[in-house]
Amino acid sequence: MSSLRPYLVAVRSTLTAAMALENFASQVVERHNKPEVEAGTSIEALLNPLVISRNEKEQVLIEPSINSVRMSIRIKQQDDIERILCHKFTRFMMMRAENFVILRRKPVTGYDISFLITNFHAETMLKHKLVDFIIQFMEEVDKEISETRLSLNARARIVAESYLATFG
Amino acid sequence: MILLESHNVVIQNTLAEKFNKPGSIDVVFVDFDGVRFRLSTPTSKEIIVLSMNIRCWDELAKYGVTDVLQREYGSRVMPQPEADYHVSLEYAIDSIPPPGEERDALIKAASLLKRNALAAPFENAFATQKTLESSETSDLPGQLMEIHYRDEEAIYIQAANDRVTVVFSTIFKDETDRTFGKVFLQEFVDARRQNTAMQHAPQVLYSSRDPPLEIRNVAGLKRSDDVGYVTFVLFPQHFSNPERMQSTISHIQLFRDYLHYHIKCSKAYMHSRMRARVAEFLKVLNRAKMENKEVERKTVTGRTLVQR
Repeated sequence: MSSLRPYLVAVRSTLTAAMALENFASQVVERHNKPEVEAGTSIEALLNPLVISRNEKEQVLIEPSINSVRMSIRIKQQDDIERILCHKFTRFMMMRAENFVILRRKPVTGYDISFLITNFHAETMLKHKLVDFIIQFMEEVDKEISETRLSLNARARIVAESYLATFG
Repeated sequence: MILLESHNVVIQNTLAEKFNKPGSIDVVFVDFDGVRFRLSTPTSKEIIVLSMNIRCWDELAKYGVTDVLQREYGSRVMPQPEADYHVSLEYAIDSIPPPGEERDALIKAASLLKRNALAAPFENAFATQKTLESSETSDLPGQLMEIHYRDEEAIYIQAANDRVTVVFSTIFKDETDRTFGKVFLQEFVDARRQNTAMQHAPQVLYSSRDPPLEIRNVAGLKRSDDVGYVTFVLFPQHFSNPERMQSTISHIQLFRDYLHYHIKCSKAYMHSRMRARVAEFLKVLNRAKMENKEVERKTVTGRTLVQR
């Protein structure tokens, strides 16, 4: 298994490159300005999607287009507990998507969480800081899940021991 | 608070207060497992009646609950319980000992009403084990006692000549509970094996979906993924002397509540963690937002600059 660093470096540079966005009104409907990657109405506005894969369980899908880029993350889940913790955590975030302006309310199928960055976001926010945010998210979400899992196990152990100790 | 207490705090506090300062009262409240209590003064301020409604009363009656309550509460048990309740205790103010240890003991005993009622089948099983052990005829297990103390969950108790087996069936409502429950129960199983200090603890076995051998023949068992069965094997050392026996009973009764209480606590903890983490992520994202440079500018004298 490769280490985390090159994976994140690859994601960072790909994402930075994909964030060359410009304002682009819809070619199909007059006076519409929709993220092309979501609308998908004009194929020529889409660029090649790209998968960066650390291993089977950890992948990033970046789908660029002329005025928006969609990025989906598959978070590592080793077993049932991690699956549940991951699901809870991403759900918790996505329910607050209006605060996280670039977060998509639903992930792309096959992934756990998706971000959608449009040219308007790129205009009002600093691009490199947006990339920083996503990289930090990727770093910390794994940490968070494994820490929660450890604390759950520790708690279970203490609970079991203090119960059984009363019979001693 | 890691361990749950087996007495009811509402009973304890209310009785302590009313014994000090008699007055009319009528309160209805609940305890674990859908047990309902009522504290009232139906006839006069001088007589307080404590009634309890417990789902599995009919089953408890079969296993000698009346004897246990008679032993614990003596003449305070009313011959005819209040309507809609299964057992009523009567406390006449003039029969209450003066403040002090004796009164505290009386109040404590009253607050243990539910625990004492549920203790009946356990005491019954321990007694059966003693007779089976001394008879030494065969190792035929005793009668399997079922206590359906919740809608879909039950305790099964069976005495054999060298042990008493207690099986809890428990339902996990959602997938998170199920997974967390599995983690907790696994720890219960492992704790004894790994920690030498736990050698005195009863043996714990755990199975999900398939009921253990002891209760396999019981009718109406649900077989689905959200059901878990926990078996405790109690050895004679756990109920060798009366004191030990009472503490064993107190603890084992609350096992199901204890387990679920801690599952809920873990979920709450997980939630507060997520909240903190999400707030942190939000801060990081907000750093990306460009700051608005439009600040009100003032001259030294305090006048505001306005753009025309």
